[in-house]
Amino acid sequence: MSQVEKKAGLLRRTSSSKKPLKEKVVLMYDEIFKEDPAKHNSRFWDELFLMKVNLEYLESKLETVDGEEVQRIQDNINSLFHHCVQALGEEHQIKVVNALQTLCALFRGVHQKNKSASGFDIINMLMGFDKAEQRMKDLMERLDSLLCGDGSESLKSLCLKLLLCLVTVTDNISQNTILEYVMINSIFEAILQILSDVSSRGQHGYDAVVLLALLVNYRKYESVNPYIVKLSIVDDEPTLDGMGMVVHQALTEYNRQYKDKEEENQGGFFSTLTSMVRFNFHSLHLISKYVTNEAILLALYEAVHLNRNFITVLAQSHPEMDIAATPMTPTPTTPTTPLGTTPPSLDMMNNPELPLDPNLLTSNLLITFLKYASIVMQDTKDEHRLNSARLCLIILTCIAEDQYADAFLHDDNMNFRVNLHKMPMRHRKKAVDKNIPSRPLVCAVLDLMVEFIVTHMMKDFPMDLYLRCVQIIHKLLCYQKKCRIRLHYTWRELWSALINLLKFLLSNETTLLAKHNIFHLALLVVNLFNMFITYGDTFLPTSNSYDELYYEIVRMHQVFDNLYCMVLRVSTNTGQWKEAASKVTHALVNVRAIINHFNPKIESYAAVNHISQLSEEQVLEVVRSNYDTLTLKLQDGLDQFERYSEQPKEAAFFKELVRSISLNVRKNVSLNTLSQDVLLKEFSTIS
Amino acid sequence: MEDTELEVSPTPSDQNSPSPSSSPSLSLPSTPSSSCAPPPAATPPLGVISEGVAELSLFIDAEVAQRACQEVLQKVKLQQVEGDVPSQHSGAKPVPNSPPVALTASGKPMKIREQEDDPEGLAPGSVKSARRRQRHNPSKQSWLLRLFESKLFDVSMAISYLHNSKEPGVQAYIGNRLFSFPHEEVDFYLPQLLNMYIHMDEDVGDAIKPYVVHRCRQSISFSLMCAWLLGAYSSDMHISTQRHSRGTKLRKLILSDELKPAGSRAHRDPLTFSLIPFCPTSSPATGPGPLGGDHGLSPSKRTHQRSKSDATVSISLSSNLKRTASNPKVESSQDEPVRLAPQREFIKSLMGIGKRLATLPTKEQKTQRLISELSLLNHKLPARVWLPTAAFDHHVVRVPHTQAVVLNSKDKAPYLIYVEVLECDNFETSSVPIRIPENRIRSTRSVENLPDCGMTAEQRAGSFSMVPNYDNDDEAWSVDDIGELQVELPEVHTNSCDNISQFSVDSITSLESKDPVFIAAGDIRRRLSEQLAQAPTTFKRDPEDPSAVALKEPWEEKVRRIREGSPYGHLPNWRLLSVIVKCGDDLRQELLAFQVLQQLKSIWEQERVPLWIKPYKILVLSSDSGMIEPVVNAVSLHQVKKQSQLSLLDYLLQEHGAPTTEAFLSAQRNFVQSCAGYSLICYLLQVKDRHNGNILLDAEGHIIHIDFGFILSSSPKNLGFETSAFKLTTEFVDVMGGPEGDMFNYYKMLMLQGLIAARKHMDRVLQIVEIMQQGSQLPCFHGSSTMRGLKERFHMSLTEEQLQLLIDQLVDGSMRSLTTKLYDGFQYLTNGIM
Repeated sequence: MSQVEKKAGLLRRTSSSKKPLKEKVVLMYDEIFKEDPAKHNSRFWDELFLMKVNLEYLESKLETVDGEEVQRIQDNINSLFHHCVQALGEEHQIKVVNALQTLCALFRGVHQKNKSASGFDIINMLMGFDKAEQRMKDLMERLDSLLCGDGSESLKSLCLKLLLCLVTVTDNISQNTILEYVMINSIFEAILQILSDVSSRGQHGYDAVVLLALLVNYRKYESVNPYIVKLSIVDDEPTLDGMGMVVHQALTEYNRQYKDKEEENQGGFFSTLTSMVRFNFHSLHLISKYVTNEAILLALYEAVHLNRNFITVLAQSHPEMDIAATPMTPTPTTPTTPLGTTPPSLDMMNNPELPLDPNLLTSNLLITFLKYASIVMQDTKDEHRLNSARLCLIILTCIAEDQYADAFLHDDNMNFRVNLHKMPMRHRKKAVDKNIPSRPLVCAVLDLMVEFIVTHMMKDFPMDLYLRCVQIIHKLLCYQKKCRIRLHYTWRELWSALINLLKFLLSNETTLLAKHNIFHLALLVVNLFNMFITYGDTFLPTSNSYDELYYEIVRMHQVFDNLYCMVLRVSTNTGQWKEAASKVTHALVNVRAIINHFNPKIESYAAVNHISQLSEEQVLEVVRSNYDTLTLKLQDGLDQFERYSEQPKEAAFFKELVRSISLNVRKNVSLNTLSQDVLLKEFSTIS
Repeated sequence: MEDTELEVSPTPSDQNSPSPSSSPSLSLPSTPSSSCAPPPAATPPLGVISEGVAELSLFIDAEVAQRACQEVLQKVKLQQVEGDVPSQHSGAKPVPNSPPVALTASGKPMKIREQEDDPEGLAPGSVKSARRRQRHNPSKQSWLLRLFESKLFDVSMAISYLHNSKEPGVQAYIGNRLFSFPHEEVDFYLPQLLNMYIHMDEDVGDAIKPYVVHRCRQSISFSLMCAWLLGAYSSDMHISTQRHSRGTKLRKLILSDELKPAGSRAHRDPLTFSLIPFCPTSSPATGPGPLGGDHGLSPSKRTHQRSKSDATVSISLSSNLKRTASNPKVESSQDEPVRLAPQREFIKSLMGIGKRLATLPTKEQKTQRLISELSLLNHKLPARVWLPTAAFDHHVVRVPHTQAVVLNSKDKAPYLIYVEVLECDNFETSSVPIRIPENRIRSTRSVENLPDCGMTAEQRAGSFSMVPNYDNDDEAWSVDDIGELQVELPEVHTNSCDNISQFSVDSITSLESKDPVFIAAGDIRRRLSEQLAQAPTTFKRDPEDPSAVALKEPWEEKVRRIREGSPYGHLPNWRLLSVIVKCGDDLRQELLAFQVLQQLKSIWEQERVPLWIKPYKILVLSSDSGMIEPVVNAVSLHQVKKQSQLSLLDYLLQEHGAPTTEAFLSAQRNFVQSCAGYSLICYLLQVKDRHNGNILLDAEGHIIHIDFGFILSSSPKNLGFETSAFKLTTEFVDVMGGPEGDMFNYYKMLMLQGLIAARKHMDRVLQIVEIMQQGSQLPCFHGSSTMRGLKERFHMSLTEEQLQLLIDQLVDGSMRSLTTKLYDGFQYLTNGIM
């Protein structure tokens, strides 16, 4: 192969010479920007794709082209684009690689130059209006066949990188007009295929999932996005499972890193040692990927929100992948059989002796997600974390609304120990991990909500997150009421957390009112109590727990008294909050009835028995013996809730989120990760 | 060698089917004509035989033999006509006549075969030897023949003669006679048949083999059952002999899937064909009569095959990635070998799970692991797999994985799974149900369809075909939109719950009225405690004993719950089964015990004595694995005592009501009848290791003994104690109303009646055990006196008065036995069983 020799020579020259002796490829690029390059050399294009691409040069060259020049060289750029697409069909893999990289540079360069330009101008400049449709069709078809074919894994990886590059080339994905062609010529099936196959999922799963999440967000609210439609009807279990696995692994990775860091901070020889050992398992670029996980979280959201079949994947148990990051390493090794991920083939059946570590705890995507959420929610000051926390709560909202998800959340036979991360706080000791009992998953969700409520009462009040949090609890209670599920949960913790929240709202009334409608939150909280008071018979686990509810209300009666005074005051004044406050006054009617009924009884009991301080048992006794004289008012609509809908409420959030993810992905798409040497080595063995 | 034998052995059955392509089952209509023909035509060939075989033959004997055979034939034909109605019989019937046909009518060819492979030529052999015997003792022989022809001659007797008779002729005759018995009856004795095949001499083996091979051809489940049993019962042989034993060879043959029905017979055609000229009915090579008959049936044959290929497609679909399976080429190539594969894989993966569970240290981890493994197994279902312990044909569609529990065992990991199946006409030919994704539960649908359970078969069949295809995404979208679930759910649950909390549910509707509604806090509180009290007593969840809760839940309740949660639950032919998977345990003794129990049960039924026992089905997969059909609605006495902290009597009072209520009295009666039954069983079989973990109490008050690991000659750890005849603790006696009570006397009377009845049919019991002793290393056969001891315990020599005395002694001894108490204490100390 003479060309390969030439190439080798070239490479040597570039590495040795420091003089501005230009690379041949650079000269060729220059030629494109001057005149029709094929005029003098008919084999120009053939040769070009044999050269190692100089991405920086090509991009900068494209950026420097100014207005008039554009007109002049547009044909040449169109031609370059055309030949790139054609080269993708070449048998010679080097050409394909170079063409892919060149395309990347083209997309980037042209967009960089014309940030303000309309999408149509960009299309015109790249492909020419009249031919754009055909060119993009060809491009997408070629990419599709490369992705689905049996070709090199590095090529597939590069294809995905190109697509990611194309999708994130604008800050706002919806302004990226070229994507219109990606909508018409869907690569959805190719993405699914990658996800359904164990080995390709291991290597390209992450990119595929991120790509899918981004494509789904293209002009989501304005037009019919075929990716949304398609994603919503996927019902192939191996594929959905594969998608779940990718998300699972990414989140597990994050959780582990966090844990390692935490252990490191706590010090100790052993922990540092293990984290050092573990560190070796991650390649560096993986870590950079996991700084924030919004892209993967967005994918999880879209899957949960759009595809109801995906809900089953959440509960799909997998033995926890400890150090199972191996399939994610970019080196094209044959991945180890990931436990439990083999798609329904006879693999597992034929191989009853799977490698098994008895210490592995069984886990599933939902558990991993809850752990992840518990970490992310700890600190919502950072904007990325705030976004992540919000997205986590939105996902939980969707889950809490899904009947199937609720069914397995409450399934008494599916008990798990979920180690949620808790923020170290002054007034409480860090819970010992080992003592967490094995319970239905909904307990972990409730724990997480309680944890959030307790830990975020701060000046910079995350009102939005609190609302979501309380609504999630409400939805779960509604499900329990409807299905008469008597969950053995320590409801007391929830009650006291909610009462403390009310207390916080009261004491920070003025500062909070400046920014938020605290009455809405207060109403939701009071209505949670109303749920327990009026419907407690349908879902409380023991009759004692109903007594305890009353005990807790009576014990903390001052909070409710103060709240009532406050809302009464606001509702009698004319003002912005008049109506909101008056709703709270109505909602408080039963709580007040309870307090007014039992307080005198307790006092008289104390007086009669000459006890200054009643014990809990004594109070409960008073409560038990005085139910019959108490009348409550049945409130309407306590068990009804507003269903989650993305539009219009959340649209702005998602737009912003997708923008930030786009920026992040663009930054991290590194085409250079595949060095030419690696590729050459690989392809020399292939061809 | 084995191959050629096989090529030959089915030939007698082929003689009736001149058309090369026709399978034995398809030649059915032609057989009447062929068997009507023999009488006149048969005499000369018989003469030929008598000349060829014996120089001096009594003509009349030959006639007797011939008539006998014809009568058998005739009977078979009659049965056949009746048997044609149930579809599964139709395949089996035609063959039974063919051996007799060969017997009577085959002339020269049979003689030739005799010379070539004498031991193999069974049919003529039987004639020959029968005649030979007749010469010695004509009267006895005719008596025997008459017995064989009589209506009284049942499978049990056939097995017994097969085992005891030293005459190859009789054995061969019985081998042929097996064809005429109903399949289920022979199936009961399959362990005996196969054990004889493995461990007894050639003649018996040769007599049995054609039947086994024939049945294997017909049925996948029979094939697998044979393969498993052959493997299990060959395992006691020395490794060197085992490899070359008949049992192992036959097992290999079955598993290689050589024994295929109709379609695969093509390569045997030359042989079949060459025999046709000798077929007595059709004088030319291919007579028009049989051919016409074959044609008449061919349409049904074609549909039959089509449905089968459909089925295999769905197997490959479920066992392979869809992408490959959608390629028709792949399917067709997989069509054949897949016959036994799905079921074998299914069983294998269940065993694999058991093995992997055994490596985990805690129950909790085992349970979690089990759930996750089963959820993966679900991906491969539905498939052409079934639970062999079930009584009806079905396909397994789903394993509700979250319901599975790990059972209490120290080092092994037996587990209990529930299995959702769809009943079908025939699991081999009915097509495998389509997969319905997990989350497509329609609560409304399942409720609507619940009353349908009681509908007739036709309705069921009709509605089954009406079931829409759930693969249609549009439909799925529109029907169970998440939004609707909100409205659906309350209705579902008001349906299932009573009106206690109607009030709370109604509050939604109160939206309409403007007047405020008031409720009393006291009412809410009262409803709460009432509802909690009303709920059936459940056991507390204990991570160390996960099975207690699962087993306590009433079966109907569980079925309803699982059905509601299942995507297949709305189908009218949906059923729930359960099975215990045992890995690492030898269930051969359990199987023996099951057979004895079943036999005694039918004896007691036959003699109308109301003793109650519950034999539970055992599936032996190998010498160290198997499955057990769980007893539903039953928990162990250990679990009862641990969870309730009550005495047995108090627990029964709590569960069924005051001592004078009808509910309690019937529970008590059940208790006594079952106690009597199991006391006798324990005595006769010398069942040991009777601690409370091995005795179940069901929801109706019956006790049920499980775990027959120590019977006959074996005892746990050979600890000498636990010597009492059976377990009769004071607690038991208390439930019966004390040692002076009427119920206690009733108990003793039942035992006496039971023993007398069992004694009457002792042979039926002994035979089961005796045959299994052949070549067995099982601990229950340890020592030489096993059979003698068993026989003695039936006390044939005692009068009924003496028997009564014996029963009194046994009961007295057991009641006063310290060892029972001691043994319970020992179990508590060592295994934590109360």
